[in-house]
Amino acid sequence: MNILTIENLSKNYGKIQALQQVSFTVPKGTVYGILGPNGSGKTTMLGIVMDVLKSSGGGFKLFDELPNESHRKRMGTLLETPNFYHYLSAVQNLKIAAKIKQRGEDDIDRVIEVVGLTQRKNSPFSSYSLGMKQRLAIGSALLGNPEVLVLDEPTNGLDPVGIAEIRTLIMSLANQGKTIIMASHMLDEVEKVCTHVAILKYGKLIASGDVNEILVNEDVVELAASNLDALKNMLTNFPNILSLHIKDKVVQVNLPQGTANMEAINKFCFNNDMVLTHLQLKKKSLETKFLELTN
Amino acid sequence: MLELLKIEWLKLKNYKAFLIIGIFFIIGIFVTNYMVLTVFNKMVDKTEAGMLLGKFMPYDFKHVWQTTSYTSGYILILPVMLLIMLVTNEFTYKTNRQNIIDGLSRLDFINVKIVLATLFAIISTIFVIVTGFALASTTGTEFSFHGFSQVGYFFLKALTYNFIAVFISVLIKRTGFAIGVYFIYMSAENIIAQLLDVWSMKIKADSKLDLGSLGSYLPMNASDSLLSFPENPFKSMAKSAFPTDYHYLTISIAVFFVVLFYWLSRSIILKKDL
Repeated sequence: MNILTIENLSKNYGKIQALQQVSFTVPKGTVYGILGPNGSGKTTMLGIVMDVLKSSGGGFKLFDELPNESHRKRMGTLLETPNFYHYLSAVQNLKIAAKIKQRGEDDIDRVIEVVGLTQRKNSPFSSYSLGMKQRLAIGSALLGNPEVLVLDEPTNGLDPVGIAEIRTLIMSLANQGKTIIMASHMLDEVEKVCTHVAILKYGKLIASGDVNEILVNEDVVELAASNLDALKNMLTNFPNILSLHIKDKVVQVNLPQGTANMEAINKFCFNNDMVLTHLQLKKKSLETKFLELTN
Repeated sequence: MLELLKIEWLKLKNYKAFLIIGIFFIIGIFVTNYMVLTVFNKMVDKTEAGMLLGKFMPYDFKHVWQTTSYTSGYILILPVMLLIMLVTNEFTYKTNRQNIIDGLSRLDFINVKIVLATLFAIISTIFVIVTGFALASTTGTEFSFHGFSQVGYFFLKALTYNFIAVFISVLIKRTGFAIGVYFIYMSAENIIAQLLDVWSMKIKADSKLDLGSLGSYLPMNASDSLLSFPENPFKSMAKSAFPTDYHYLTISIAVFFVVLFYWLSRSIILKKDL
């Protein structure tokens, strides 16, 4: 089953084209990263999916059906900024969210505990710091343990500890088999947690699919020995090498995707009287790949 | 709908302005009517005009429904302000978006506000009935439903005012600005209505075409014009100069505007980006 299917979705604000004919599919059980620089249309796209924005063309499906509000009740969503009644406390705000989602109030204390707001759960929202507001918004998305989570920049405004906590939380949710759609401009965030990725730039979809296919298309192997130049010269004879260069005291060897056999490389070096001090398979740096794709 | 109203109640019950405006409203209706009653009693007692007035008592059971309905109309601005604050708060806090993200439909969102506006009108009407009954009971006259239709017009007026408040709120979205626009609109409509009324008299005099008072066909003035202070013996103006009062036409127009403002508010919420 697909959780979200986007078909030729377009949106313009006057003359500005915020989304242009975007199509992709989020299968069930994936952690789907939507990556793009600021203003690339990530929030606009999620806003349309959540029916707070109207599309200018194209459409989308939720759970393989035409979308309606009952689908949204099955999803936990944090869109753009934490939106709560300022004069109400965390508990009072979550009671409203629970009632709209038609779930009981018994889950409120759990989610407040998960996001670490128990001590301040009865203080008015207006007294919260930016990070606490963000935590409450994540808590609200978790309410009722939904099968799908949509998180738009979930680590916005959080301190390093908070960022690490949310990352752990997302990974544990993914391990429970939940589908997570996460928009972010933070590359390492996506690299660390996502199984799939869609890359947007100026409202256009540049690439989408499995994170290992999109963000890596070559195997990079790092090797080091006491004599780097000799190592490099020797490796030119290794079959199927795409490129080879010395970088930061290691030799980087690029091989076609999925062909790097560490055992074979190690044996090849040893047979040529070269003892390695370092041998590591590396994915191509996400940042390099991202800049390549978006430039 | 009951579930939707329970959600609204969660938003309302801890909102300080709700408590404050609510109390002022209840006190306001009672005090305004009590003041009118007291002034009238004093006038009847002390002035010679009082002698001429004879038995005319605005708060006896024969007149009380009309008097209270008319007098209480001025206090309707309080629930209107509360409604504007409640609806525009959603836009200010962006909770309109959050409610819809969490699973409310856009139609539910606007319908529950309209039901809330209707409930406010019903509650206002109940206060008018209670106040009217309480004050009339002090006059020692016999209970009567004479002129009770005026209470119905009061309800229609409250409904109109509240629906206009919802419409201006979803149109303007900012609290202070929306309250300002409401007052400006109210003043502007009254001025235009008076000009139209004069024009209607001129039309009647010039062409014998009796269209009624055109000012009464504007949104607020339609329901306003259904209400008036009871005719007292002093009021014996030359009525022939006035255009005919097409009573049922005015009621129909007032109802039409109520429906129109619902439809306009609904269109904005259903079609626009939130």
